[in-house]
Amino acid sequence: MTKPLLDVEDLRVRFHLRTGTVEAVRGVSFQLGRERLGIVGESGSGKSQTGRAILGLTPPPGEITAKRLAFDGIDLQTASRRTLRDLRGGRISMVMQDPKYSLNPVMTIGEQIIEAYRAHKRAGKAEARDKALAMLEAVKMRDPGRVFSLYPHEVSGGMGQRAMIAMMLVTDPDLLIADEPTSALDVTVSMEVLRILDELVSERGMGLIFISHDLKLVSSFCNRVLVMYAGRVVEELEARHLRDAKHPYTQGLMRCLPTLANDVRPLPTLDRDPSWAQ
Amino acid sequence: MTDPMLDIQNLKVVFGTGRLRVEAVKDVSFQVEAGAAYGLVGESGSGKSTVLRAICGLAPVSGGRVFVDGRDVPTPRDKAFYRTVQMVFQDPYASLHPRHTVDRTLSEPLAIHREKDAETRILQALREVGLGPSFRFRYPHQLSGGQRQRIAIARALILRPKVLLLDEPTSALDASVQAEILNLLDDLRRKMGLTYILVSHDLAVVAHLCERLLVMRHGEAVEETTAAALRSGQASNEYTQSLIDASRGYSREAVQPPPAIAV
Repeated sequence: MTKPLLDVEDLRVRFHLRTGTVEAVRGVSFQLGRERLGIVGESGSGKSQTGRAILGLTPPPGEITAKRLAFDGIDLQTASRRTLRDLRGGRISMVMQDPKYSLNPVMTIGEQIIEAYRAHKRAGKAEARDKALAMLEAVKMRDPGRVFSLYPHEVSGGMGQRAMIAMMLVTDPDLLIADEPTSALDVTVSMEVLRILDELVSERGMGLIFISHDLKLVSSFCNRVLVMYAGRVVEELEARHLRDAKHPYTQGLMRCLPTLANDVRPLPTLDRDPSWAQ
Repeated sequence: MTDPMLDIQNLKVVFGTGRLRVEAVKDVSFQVEAGAAYGLVGESGSGKSTVLRAICGLAPVSGGRVFVDGRDVPTPRDKAFYRTVQMVFQDPYASLHPRHTVDRTLSEPLAIHREKDAETRILQALREVGLGPSFRFRYPHQLSGGQRQRIAIARALILRPKVLLLDEPTSALDASVQAEILNLLDDLRRKMGLTYILVSHDLAVVAHLCERLLVMRHGEAVEETTAAALRSGQASNEYTQSLIDASRGYSREAVQPPPAIAV
């Protein structure tokens, strides 16, 4: 058996606030190889905080504890800041939800990709430029040369998100964490972005953590799905066996979506059982 | 056939002039009978929200005519118009005043239209959207997303309008909360005989709530179809078909299956 790429055991994220301690993530454990793992849950379930904690991006009052949090044998809890800086954006990358907020508004898209590349690889300007252009082509930009010199406000949401993916993949990471990469996009555009992400991930054989609230989307895109509720993983299942979900929360989430295939009314709503959060 | 509740004839909306001139809506026409629900579907930039905004006076009507309940709407819209037509916006986090209590938010339309019995009307409006009187003196930050959207619906309904314009009313909400709001909207329509125009990018949501719908793209009407046709997967138009396919979730055809490496 090969060693897992990412090994998380009993991950907890706490926020000590004036009003008391909030535990956003409560004992999440999983292992990830070079596969696609989906993390699904509603807002407030701790799915994004799980993704952020892996990269050490938990915002300040937050505190991360874990029995084990290791990436490719490197313990992320004890690693120096320097090592972490090298890992972030280098071997582990993250695609955020909204390209409007996550791209630098005062740098052209090309410069940003070059910056990301040169922060991690020893490369000359010309080489980095070629690499950036190649990457923009890889994410199916129609005119890479033109997009290269555009500012983020000059491109559409779908193009911005593809530029973001280009920037995150230019360093050839081993693990990509995508936090709601398509929820700010239109249905048809998001399919295109997913197709690009799909191709690149399988071509490069990297591990992917895909965080989303959309159960249907995740199950059609990933191999394995973790369903989170109130900071815990309530169910882990193979994506293709989603129909046979055991946990009432997963079943409820599946049922409450209106579908084109059948017309149910009123839609079944989710009765939350307090015991799920235990 | 009775007169339609809402009759949009060759609606055109133009923003800017000269080089910056944008035709956001080009010659869109449709009719909605009283008590029906009509959907507008399309990607962002298709002009679907602009149609709604033009109807209620938030965007200019540059050409064509808008009839509500058989009456040509005046510009600026008068009080009688807002008694007939009300709107619910997409983001309940942005559409409620953060420093007004629920009570104040709900009493504002009553005050503007010089309605009496504010107290009973507010309590009734809260009851209609499934919230108790305990919510009356809360601020928006003390409410969840679903509760906020219920308040926004209560605010729209408090003047007893005949037409409700719904601009992506559930897209900022979680799936389980979306189901609750859709059920609420369904119920209210049946009980009060409301007419809905629903804008959404989610075909399943539109098919759930509406009987007929218009697919829009680049400001133009692509196709008018029915929810039943959508459900059976019939679309005469290629673009509508691509929307139907996209709503079924991600599919990997055209892409090689990934070499899965077991761990």
